[in-house]
Amino acid sequence: MATQIVVDHTGHTRHCFNPNDAQALASAERRFMELTGRGFTAAVRNGPGEITKVQSFDPTAEETLFFPRLVGG
Amino acid sequence: MFWVRRSLLVGASSRINAVRELYRKFANENTRETRGLRLLRDWLSPDQREQLDNSGYFEVCGCASRKRYRIYHVRFAPNVYEIDGVGRLKVGVCFLPTGPLVTGDVMLAQKIALETDEHRAIAVANRFSPTGDLPRWLAREAISGRSRMDAMNRRISG
Repeated sequence: MATQIVVDHTGHTRHCFNPNDAQALASAERRFMELTGRGFTAAVRNGPGEITKVQSFDPTAEETLFFPRLVGG
Repeated sequence: MFWVRRSLLVGASSRINAVRELYRKFANENTRETRGLRLLRDWLSPDQREQLDNSGYFEVCGCASRKRYRIYHVRFAPNVYEIDGVGRLKVGVCFLPTGPLVTGDVMLAQKIALETDEHRAIAVANRFSPTGDLPRWLAREAISGRSRMDAMNRRISG
């Protein structure tokens, strides 16, 4: 199972999907495009504390986190 | 007969109390703040997690400049500071993700931004000098942040 974690007002929302299911994968890719299109940053966890920012959908990523656009405080 | 009815009532009452306690515990573990902190801890390196538990902050290395930044566990910005070689606060960099997010999520976004896209984070950040009582205030707030972490750890392990 792969997971897309969207940081939001509830703490976060998890969307789990089976990467071997073509329909679920397409849905996950649509979610990726929609969120990054709205300015969210996508990051993939490669190992303990090791994180990579990604610009395009990675169908092999086990865990992808999305957080909203950054602004100055 | 009266004794049997009474013992049944006592049993039902203790079951209700047990369910109530279980619900309270469940609710505590699923608050927005707790979920945010749990996610943050999952995504920290083991060293950063230990630092957060012990000190109420953790440090990250900027991916472009290799500068070190300290991210404090406090409810309100500013909570990110560039630090010097001996750990003194050099300059505050105030940036955060938009929207009503919980503290753990904000800290996680700040960590990822500095570790993977430092230039962009610094470009949007407002910079300021940590003067006056700010370092003392941060230390006090970070300690209460540590207390919150301890309380959460107790709830998870309890």
